[in-house]
Amino acid sequence: MTAEAETPDPHEPFAHPVTGLDEVVHQRVRLGILTIAHEARRVEFGYLRTHLELTAGNLSKHLSVLEAAGLIEVEKGYAGRRGRTWIMLTAAGNTALADEIGRLKQLIARVETTDPQEDR
Amino acid sequence: MTTYSVPASGDPRRLLSDVRTLAHRVRLDQRVTWVALLVLAAVTFAAIPIDWYSLHADCGSASAWINNVDGSSTCHIRREGAMFYWPPALMLAYTAIAVYAVRVTRARGLGARVLPYALTGVALTVLFTAAWLLVRLYLANHPAPTDPFPDWVMLLDRLVAPAGTIGVALLVLARLERNVALLVFTLGYLVLVLVPINFFWRPNWGYAGILGEFLPQQIVNGVVLLLGAVGFAVARRRHR
Repeated sequence: MTAEAETPDPHEPFAHPVTGLDEVVHQRVRLGILTIAHEARRVEFGYLRTHLELTAGNLSKHLSVLEAAGLIEVEKGYAGRRGRTWIMLTAAGNTALADEIGRLKQLIARVETTDPQEDR
Repeated sequence: MTTYSVPASGDPRRLLSDVRTLAHRVRLDQRVTWVALLVLAAVTFAAIPIDWYSLHADCGSASAWINNVDGSSTCHIRREGAMFYWPPALMLAYTAIAVYAVRVTRARGLGARVLPYALTGVALTVLFTAAWLLVRLYLANHPAPTDPFPDWVMLLDRLVAPAGTIGVALLVLARLERNVALLVFTLGYLVLVLVPINFFWRPNWGYAGILGEFLPQQIVNGVVLLLGAVGFAVARRRHR
């Protein structure tokens, strides 16, 4: 491949992966919630709080944002007398997580191909 | 020139690394490997006395002999007890593993991944039972073959036998749990199951050595599963 072929055409608009990032998902805690819910199928509030090292209030706020965006479903139930809250990923949540991970990989690939010296 | 910036907390490498770490943590917490191996080891060991006491070799009555083409005769051997033991035992084992997995992962605050494994195990048990029934139906109307079967038939026979189906189902569990150690263990187990070991160890047990042909294999299978259960349990305890 020639050097010219790798240089983007300055007249052609290009979509940087950053422009496609979803603000709701591109946040460390919310990405963590979606990842855990995706792997676990369903996850309990306490598990998220422990593994993401959050306070209950902080976690609730992030869950509200994700629920409002339609990315998770929240189910409340009981285990004996103890109330338990389960979080499940919706189809839209699955897609959003896959898109976010794809864009992160694109970003890393772009950084590595445009400025390899930076990593050394 | 447009400059795109990503906040430090949103560094893509760090975010991806966090995603992988969290996913790995969840998979570890969902694993029930050692319990599955322990249950299967118990089922394998329980089959040994059943095989021992239910094996029937009728060498006394001439009517029960199998007449070979070369004019010689062999005893009529039946292992019906084992055949009636394995299907319900494996069904119960897979059900017990699935119920345990659902309960324990729920207690940990997670959903379970083990259901496809249990369903695969049940499906393979049905396959094994159907194969056994077909062979029985065939032999009811045809004379017993006098020539040794080709190697590929024997390999297939061992693969659809209970020990083989246990190994195949474990491959599914390794995939579901993304468990490389279990994959390696299962491949080793399958080699043991598919390659007969009585070539170098054939004790002269019961019915003129007939039991000695398959009991060592069963003992080895059970011991390997048990050792696997212990190994994975110790590894899990160290991880926590």
